[in-house]
Amino acid sequence: MGQTIVFIKDTGLEGDRTKDFYAAFLNLLRENSLEEKAQVVRVADIGIYNQGLVVKFPEKDVTYVKVGEEDLKEVVAKTVKEGKVIDRLLFKEEPKQLRIVLRNCGEIDPENIDEYIAKDGYRALAKVLKDYKPADVIEELKKSGLRGRGGAGFPTWLKWKLTHETQDTQKYMICNADEGDPGAYMDRGVLEGDPHSVLEGLIIAGYTIGASQGYFYVRAEYPLAVERVEKALKQAYDYGFLGKNILGSNFSFDIDIRLGAGAFVCGEETALIASIEGRRGTPRPRPPYPSVKGLWDKPTAINNVETLANIAPIILKGGDWYSSIGTEKSKGTKVFALTGKVKNSGLVEVPMGITLREIVFDIGGGMLSDKGIKAIQTGGPSGGVIPKEYLDTPVDYENLQKLGSIMGSGGMIVMDEDDCMVDIAKFYLGFCVDESCGKCVPCRIGGYQMLSVLNKITESQGQIEDLDKLKRIALAMQKASLCALGQTAANPVISTIRYFEEEYRDHIVNKKCRSHKCKHLLNYNVIQDRCKRCRVCVINCPVNAISGDKEKGFFVDPKTCVRCGKCFEVCKFNAIAKE
Amino acid sequence: MAKIKPADLDRIKAAHQDDGKDWIKVGMSTCGIAAGADKVYEAFVEEIKKRNLDIQIKKCGCQGMCYSEPSVEVRVKGMPDVIYGKVDKEGVMKILDKHVCGNALVKDAIYELRTKR
Repeated sequence: MGQTIVFIKDTGLEGDRTKDFYAAFLNLLRENSLEEKAQVVRVADIGIYNQGLVVKFPEKDVTYVKVGEEDLKEVVAKTVKEGKVIDRLLFKEEPKQLRIVLRNCGEIDPENIDEYIAKDGYRALAKVLKDYKPADVIEELKKSGLRGRGGAGFPTWLKWKLTHETQDTQKYMICNADEGDPGAYMDRGVLEGDPHSVLEGLIIAGYTIGASQGYFYVRAEYPLAVERVEKALKQAYDYGFLGKNILGSNFSFDIDIRLGAGAFVCGEETALIASIEGRRGTPRPRPPYPSVKGLWDKPTAINNVETLANIAPIILKGGDWYSSIGTEKSKGTKVFALTGKVKNSGLVEVPMGITLREIVFDIGGGMLSDKGIKAIQTGGPSGGVIPKEYLDTPVDYENLQKLGSIMGSGGMIVMDEDDCMVDIAKFYLGFCVDESCGKCVPCRIGGYQMLSVLNKITESQGQIEDLDKLKRIALAMQKASLCALGQTAANPVISTIRYFEEEYRDHIVNKKCRSHKCKHLLNYNVIQDRCKRCRVCVINCPVNAISGDKEKGFFVDPKTCVRCGKCFEVCKFNAIAKE
Repeated sequence: MAKIKPADLDRIKAAHQDDGKDWIKVGMSTCGIAAGADKVYEAFVEEIKKRNLDIQIKKCGCQGMCYSEPSVEVRVKGMPDVIYGKVDKEGVMKILDKHVCGNALVKDAIYELRTKR
């Protein structure tokens, strides 16, 4: 025994040569009769990208990057044999991820409260109940600079202060876990991985604003999250973190779960309140804000899952510690659900101020295909696209807004050259049209009209005036819609026009979709030089649009063709052109 | 259960400190389960029982590495903690044969997660 363990992985962009290096490494060990001394392990992913050959000694926490074949000899002679570190090759970069919200996710058993307590869980609650007045909690939060993680970024301390200051005998505290943006699942990750962290934040919030009743509003599409929150609630009641006289104090607090019935608009706070009250989930005009007149007309504070999961660490480590992380106006970390055409899709938690490029290439491992990155969509249907020219923008609330997108709840979808921006805009707008509650006219009719225009454009019927029409309706929706759903529904369209107007014009004027996504703008043709006259396309065409014979060759009749792409798929000789 | 007092937090924390025992953790959030984590978990339980191994099997949430689900973290004394990704039934056998019983890490299956907590 006493073997040194060595991880090895080629992270170069030109093909993975891990196996070659592995063989070379083993040879070197053999030549030096060290094969007993080291255990070389090829790893699937070393968490470092585009740094050539990476050699890591996990027990020593030593990582070498850009190791050349010549360097390998030195690694074996010095580090394996003598245990010395080669400074020249060392990888000194700190990990890009910092986990505050996800601190326990993947670490503890989410269904066991003791494991949460072992990670200093409920210690913040005990500290607050013993030493803090509500005003002290608000002061600590003010120092921390924490802003709402649901999307709008309203300062949390201010929300709590307003609700705290409203005089009433009954107040409510709500956790908004109605996460609905396509491609976003940060809150699900937290609720399933560490429900007690959210619960603790919710109880502290209840104490601060002076509420005696709290609600978890979770969407019913998250059955596992609901199950784990239910278990967490039960355990918290058993231990006395909920109920009467919590931890021997005068503070009593109860929490119930309410399930959302599948309406996206119920993530909007006034619609959410209506839904809890048992009414149809539609928003109402604000003011009065919920902090004055919320659930059952009582003062109510509503916070997102991720916001609440930040509370306990802030109380334990202090607001100054939290505000030391992030940028001037956006403090702390943000969890993103990184998806789309990126290698490592998943949840990442990064300090504010990190660039989009770092997220996609240093954490996400780069693009999935060899197609280049085109844009990143953030903020879901309320957000916009950020083209690749702005990849070096530090991520925070203000910067993303300047670029015409928003931070949103944390969806981040990476798109490559195969994604058509008109199609993307159509998808997100279609989502909002589907989810519009129909209460106010601008959203209900404006959304539908914009979608019709987009449909026209993608179906080769677009006119150049349509661009102005889209902008005009978008403005009306932004100005006159009742809630954020309608006000922001046009954002994906506006931001794609802002950065990719050329592509819209291509659709309208040239009747071309350069990403080959909009099927009405596609034409399939047989490339005669490549065609082997095998007739596979003819046999597979569902509408018999391909005709001809072996002598003259085969042709696609554009009038009959339904652009299903079957011929393109089945041709073994790449003899079908799609343009 | 008796309501706990603030002082009990220390007691529970102490009782749950790492006791140096070996364990295997399977990520059992929606992403993991969708990729087959529940079957992997069952396979571990069954095999560990069959082989009568002294190793704990635990459940945990999502590490965030959804691209490599089902993911399994393994701690065996004398070896570095590692996360195996894309584990299937065959992977379960390899982890038990090599890592747990043979003091050798499984090749081409480790996914490193670089993060500060």
